[in-house]
Amino acid sequence: MGRKGGKEGSRRLPWLPWVGVGLVALGSLGALLTGSQLWLVVILVLGAACCGVATGQLLAELGKARRERALLDARVVQSHKLAALGELSAGIAHEINNPLAIIGREAELMEHLVGSALAGAQDGPRAELQESLREVSRQVERCKEITRNLLSFARKMEPVFQKVDLNRLVEDMVRLVERETQGKGIQILREYHQGLEPIRTDPPGLRQVVLNLLNNARQATEQGGTITVRTKAVLGGGVEMEVQDTGCGIPREHLARIFDPFFTTKAHGKGTGLGLSICHGIVSRLGGRIGVRSQVGKGSCFTVWLPVEPGSGGNA
Amino acid sequence: MKETSKTRVLLVDDEERFLSTTGRLLGVRGFQVGTAASAPEALEELEQNPYDVVVLDIRMPGMSGIEALAEIKRRRPDVEVLMLTGHASVDAAVEIMRLGGADYLLKPCSMDELVDKIQAALERGKTKKGA
Amino acid sequence: MAPPRVLVVDDEEDFLETLVNRLRRRGLEAQGALSGPRALELLENGVFDVAVLDVRMPGMDGIELLKEIKDRWPFLEVIMLTGHGSVESGIQGMRLGAFDYVMKPADLENLLEKIQQAHERKSLRGD
Repeated sequence: MGRKGGKEGSRRLPWLPWVGVGLVALGSLGALLTGSQLWLVVILVLGAACCGVATGQLLAELGKARRERALLDARVVQSHKLAALGELSAGIAHEINNPLAIIGREAELMEHLVGSALAGAQDGPRAELQESLREVSRQVERCKEITRNLLSFARKMEPVFQKVDLNRLVEDMVRLVERETQGKGIQILREYHQGLEPIRTDPPGLRQVVLNLLNNARQATEQGGTITVRTKAVLGGGVEMEVQDTGCGIPREHLARIFDPFFTTKAHGKGTGLGLSICHGIVSRLGGRIGVRSQVGKGSCFTVWLPVEPGSGGNA
Repeated sequence: MKETSKTRVLLVDDEERFLSTTGRLLGVRGFQVGTAASAPEALEELEQNPYDVVVLDIRMPGMSGIEALAEIKRRRPDVEVLMLTGHASVDAAVEIMRLGGADYLLKPCSMDELVDKIQAALERGKTKKGA
Repeated sequence: MAPPRVLVVDDEEDFLETLVNRLRRRGLEAQGALSGPRALELLENGVFDVAVLDVRMPGMDGIELLKEIKDRWPFLEVIMLTGHGSVESGIQGMRLGAFDYVMKPADLENLLEKIQQAHERKSLRGD
């Protein structure tokens, strides 16, 4: 994640406490020499104020560091949680597949039995019974899709690392989405860093991430809004890709959970809720990081950091 | 298959009900079916009776389907083995092919899929022997 | 590396023929199929490295075909060709294991490069 801290916080004044101490000393000296109580009071107050402000700043710094630490902890917990959930869902999917296989098979047997045993029976009820059994089979198919999805989510699809021009990969996916955003009156702005060095990563995995982020941005953005797609070289190493929208934003209470499997704010049937958790999983496997900044009503910005070589570090 | 003698299929799965119903439906489709509820039972059955194709579940308690596959191919290289698996992982597919498995099927599968794969495995066995 | 063996699947006969010919002229081993079932037939009887599938086809569409291919030949790399209204199918296709998406009308150089990349991926996987 790109850190934007530092310039936003109040500027630190390292000389402030020394001024305070100096003033206090000066005041005491002046008071001793002149014997004036007034001097003493004024200068002591001034000095104390300087010391107070400096202490306040120090405490603020401390608080910021503590908050950053908490954020980092949250991210670590997040990835552990995802790994555990992945294993759990794979286990469940496997367990469900067996009874599912039996249900499917029994439905087929019943269809066969209905066909042969009720050969002489009335057509109406028989057709109804057969249709009903076919529906059971169809629903088994549907469950099968779900368990396959769960397994593919959990499965650590070993990435295959190939040299990739990030700008081109991103642009390909932008074009795929652009035809639909144009129809909705949403503009896509490109801010690609020219001359970005090629990275070694898993192309289809990364495409999936980019496409999912673009699609989320598209769904969050109203007519007349814009989506900005950015690539940049990161000073400490690696590259970054950002998808920023002017959409509805994500409420603070959801921010911590948006990478969880099955967490969704979309209506039932509109999203499976696997999008962002899949992105998180893929980016982790590529040795990168994904993060989000968001403000309700103003929009969200997802940032994906990737190493140039898998396994090579970058800014922490 | 338009053959005078029926194709002999051995079904191996630890789910008894799946075993009996699938066996019955394969019978309806003209196969001669034997069943085994575990890998050791399957190996024993293969000693007793001749089979053309074995349909083997990968996940079984005790001796796993993969181990059973290796053992069956060692003892009876002429028998075609189809694996039933919960999901298609590249690793598992490679392992199955390496051990001489004919193919694999994703579980749950319909009878149509199963019959298609059994027939494809038989064809494969025949061309192999012809070559 | 041997030239990639490519299977192109599209229901438009003219498009298919032109593309297959152009790929052949560039030294690839290309074959065409006019439908999903025909493609499966060719895959069963031959060896391919990369499949290029049109998303929209009558009967078995590109997504269904992709699913079938990834179930049966997980090593075969698949590039999807798509027209408009394609974001949902794009996401679905990528999730199902497609290597890439190319917008129609496809630029030959672009497509060639992607086929090479997909081929490289397949050999990197150590098939």
